[in-house]
Amino acid sequence: MSGVKRFVSRLLQLVFVLWAVATILFLIFRLMPGSPLAAYIDPTFTEEQQRILMARFGLDRPLFEQYLIYLWNLLHGDLGESFFYRQPVGERVLMLLPNTLVLSLFSIILAYMIGVVGGAYLAWKRGSFVEGATIPFVLTTRAMPEFWLGMVLLAVFSFSLGWFPAGGMRTAGSEYPSLLALYTSGDFWRHLFLPALTLAIYFHGLPLLLMRSNMLDVMSEDFVTMARIKGLSNWTIVVRHAARNALLPVATSLAIAIGYQMQGSVVVETVFSWPGLGRELVRAVSASDYPLAQGAFLLIAVVVILMNLLADLLYGLLDPRISHA
Amino acid sequence: MKNLFKATTAFGLALSVAGPVFAAGDEIREITIFSRPQAAQPSEFQFVQLIAQEWRRLGLDVNIEVMPWEQMADIVWYNRDDWDTTGWQMVGRPERSDPDELIFNLFHTTTAPTGYNFIGYENPEYDAIVEAQRTETDIDARRDLIHRAQAILAADQPNLMLAHPQSTFAYDNTVWDPDSVIDQGGIGIRNTWTFINLEPLGDQRDVVLNSTDNVQGINPLWISGGTDSWITELIWDRLLRIGPDGLPQPWAAESYEWLDDSTVEIVLRDGMTWHDGEPVTVEDVVFSFEAAMGDEAPMYSPFVSNIADIEIVDDSTLQFHLNAPSAAFLTASLSKLNLIPQHIWAPVLEDLATRDEENAEDYQEEIPIGSGPFQFSSWLTNEEIVLEANQDHFSAPNVDRWILRIVPNTEASLGMLRSGEINFLSDYPGDPNILIEIAGEDGDLEVVSTVDMGFRYVAFNHRRPPFSDPAFRQALSMAINRDLIVGAAFRGFAVPSNSVISPALAFWHNDDVDEFETGVEVAQAILAEAGYEVIDGRLHYPDGVSETLGE
Repeated sequence: MSGVKRFVSRLLQLVFVLWAVATILFLIFRLMPGSPLAAYIDPTFTEEQQRILMARFGLDRPLFEQYLIYLWNLLHGDLGESFFYRQPVGERVLMLLPNTLVLSLFSIILAYMIGVVGGAYLAWKRGSFVEGATIPFVLTTRAMPEFWLGMVLLAVFSFSLGWFPAGGMRTAGSEYPSLLALYTSGDFWRHLFLPALTLAIYFHGLPLLLMRSNMLDVMSEDFVTMARIKGLSNWTIVVRHAARNALLPVATSLAIAIGYQMQGSVVVETVFSWPGLGRELVRAVSASDYPLAQGAFLLIAVVVILMNLLADLLYGLLDPRISHA
Repeated sequence: MKNLFKATTAFGLALSVAGPVFAAGDEIREITIFSRPQAAQPSEFQFVQLIAQEWRRLGLDVNIEVMPWEQMADIVWYNRDDWDTTGWQMVGRPERSDPDELIFNLFHTTTAPTGYNFIGYENPEYDAIVEAQRTETDIDARRDLIHRAQAILAADQPNLMLAHPQSTFAYDNTVWDPDSVIDQGGIGIRNTWTFINLEPLGDQRDVVLNSTDNVQGINPLWISGGTDSWITELIWDRLLRIGPDGLPQPWAAESYEWLDDSTVEIVLRDGMTWHDGEPVTVEDVVFSFEAAMGDEAPMYSPFVSNIADIEIVDDSTLQFHLNAPSAAFLTASLSKLNLIPQHIWAPVLEDLATRDEENAEDYQEEIPIGSGPFQFSSWLTNEEIVLEANQDHFSAPNVDRWILRIVPNTEASLGMLRSGEINFLSDYPGDPNILIEIAGEDGDLEVVSTVDMGFRYVAFNHRRPPFSDPAFRQALSMAINRDLIVGAAFRGFAVPSNSVISPALAFWHNDDVDEFETGVEVAQAILAEAGYEVIDGRLHYPDGVSETLGE
C-alpha cells in the first residue's frame, strides 16, 4: 500500500471514529433522566418564557432533527452554546484545554522518567530483595484511586507540612501578562507539583512494568551476551545496549498514555481545584449541560484519537521493520 | 391467565368492600416520597428515611424513590398530578426578607397551575388574607395579617415543615477585626455589609474567599447562580438595600417616601459615578427599571410588573406609580433591581431587540460597569474573580481587593483557610462540627452559624388523596419529632420549623405556631378521629372513601 493511500485510509478511519463518538455522546446525554431545563429555567418563569428558552436551545424540536443540527454544526466547528454559562462551548473548552495539557504533559514526563529508569534498574536487579519489595508497591499505586491518593498527598504535603498550596493554579490575585509568563513562573510550578505528582504516581506503573519486561527480554538476547563476553562494563551494557532497545515500545506507549492521562485529569482537577477541561466536564455532566459536556468529551476524544495515530506513526518511524500492511 | 387472576382479585376485593364486616373505606395505596441522592443532599436523604419509618408505624406502605434534582424537579414542577410527597427546600435570599414572596407564592390559589404553589393548596380564607397583606401599607396591621396566615398554615399543614438550617461560615480573626463582621439576620456573615465593613488588622488587606461552584456570569440583568449574586450585589448599586435587620434601607436613593399607597417618591443620592467615570443620573435609574420591564431581561420582569410608570420630577427626584398598592414593593423591587448605565446598555439592548432568540442573559460585558462599592478587575475562568474597592463610593470598603477563589474540593478549602490561602470561608457545604473542631485546633479562626431564612420540608401533593384531607396531612406531620430530625439529619445545625417565615425574621414570624405535640400516638389519635382505621396493620380510608389512585 502506498503512503498516500495509507494516510487517506487512516484519515477516513479517524473521521468515522469521531462521528461514532459524537453520536454516542449525543445519545448518552439525552437518555439521562429528567429535563435539562429543570436545572436552568427559573420556576418563576411563565410558560411563554419557557417556550422561548426551549426554542433558543432547539430543545423543542424532534430528537432526530436536533441530532442533524448538532452534526451539521459540528462540521462547521460549532460546538453549540452552553446552557449553564450562556457562552459558546468552543471558546470555553479551548480556553481550558491548555491548563489540562500542561498538567497532563508534565505528569506524564515525570511518570516516564521514574518508569524508564526504575524499570531498567529493576530488570537489572532481577531476583533481588529490592525488586521483590518494589514490584508490589508499584502494583499498589496502580490500584489506588486517584482522588484518594490526591487527598492523601494534600493532607500530608499541604495541610500538615504546608510545603505546597492546597489548590488552584496561582496565588490569589497574582497577575501574569500572558499564559507563557504564568506557565514559566515559580508560583505556577508550586501549584502544579502535587496534582502532577498524583497523576505521575498513579501512572508510572505502566512505563515501569513495560520497561522492566522489555529489558528482561532484551537482556537474554545474543548481543547482550556478546557484550558481556567482550568485557564491557555493566553500565555500558544496560544503558547503551539493552535499554536503548527496550525503550522502543515504551516510547510509543507514551502517546497513548497522554490520552489516558487526560481521563485521569477529570478526578485530579476536581481534587486540586485545577481550572481544566476535566473539572469542567464533571460540572457540565452534573448540571445536564449537554452542549458543554459533549464539547469537552469530544475534545478529549480528539486528543486520544490523535495520540493513538501518533503512536502508530511513531512506531513505524522508530522501527522500520514494522510494516503497515 | 394473568388477566383472569387480576379479574378474580378485583372481584374478591369488590366483595370484601361491599361486605358488612368492614366499616372502613379502601386500604390506602402505597405512597411514595422523593429524595435526592445521599451524595448530593445528605440531610434530605437522612430525614426522608426517618420520616418514612415513622409513617410506616401508622400503617402506611411507604416507598422511597431516590432521584437526581433534574428528574425530581421535572416531575414535581411539570407533572403536577404524578407524585405523592417529596423532600424540598426554599433557600434564603435577601429579598425574601419580606414575607410576601413565600407566604403568597407558595400557597395562593393563582400560583397552583404553573407557579410556586406546586402542591395545589387551595383555601379561600387564606387567599383573602395574603391578598390583603399585599396592599396593607401599615406595617403593624400587615404583621397581624401575616401572623394570621401562619396560623392557618399551622392548622392546615399544607406541608410538613421540618427545619431552618443554619448557614455556617468562618474567617481568620487575626486578619479581620471580629467587630467589623456583620451577621445579617437569616443570611449569615457572608453578605455585602460584611464585605464593605471588614476592617483589616494587619498587612493583609485583600479579602480572599471561596466558592465551591463556578461563576456562570457577571450580569446585572440575569439572575444566574447563587455565587454570581454575591458579585452582582457588590458591583451594582440598588436604590434600596436590605439591611442587616432584614428591612430595606436607603442606598443609592438618599430617601424614599410613600406619597399615597401606590406612589413612591425617590431622591437619588448626589455625586454618584459609574466605574467608568460617568455620572449616575435619574435617567439611568429609569432606564434600569425599563430594561427589566421590556423583553430582554425576563428574570427581572416579575419584580417590575406592578410598575405603571416612572416619572422624572427633577434632576434628582423620581416617582414610581404602581398599578396596585404593594407593601412589598420596597423589598421586592427597589431593593432587587440593579442600577445599570444607560450609555453602556442602551446600544446592547437595542441590538438584542433585533434578535429573536437572544436576550440580555446571553450578553457578558467584557468589563462589567456598575456604580457599586467594588469594581470589576479580572475574571479567570473557573479560577478566581478579583474586584477592587471603589474608593469614590459613598460607602467605600476598607479592604483593597475582594478575591473569590473557585475551590470545588471542600476539604481543600478548609486547608486553605488554615494556611491563609483564603481568609474568609464563604461557602462550606460540609459538616459544621468538623469546621468547629478545626477552628478549635487552629485558634485563629472564628466560626459563625446563623439561622437561615430558608427551610427544608416535605411537600404533600394536595391533588392526590389522601393528601387532600387536612386531618391526614396533620397526622403525618405530627408523627414527626422535629428535634430528632434536627439532631440526626442536620447534626444540630438547624432549628425546628412550623412556619415558612423563619424565626430569623423576628418581626414577621408567629411564635404561637412553634409549639406542638408530636409522636406516633398523637398522629394515631388524629387519624382515628377523622375515621381512618388500621386493619391488619394497614391504614384504611374513612368509611365510604375508595382509593382512586391505586393500581
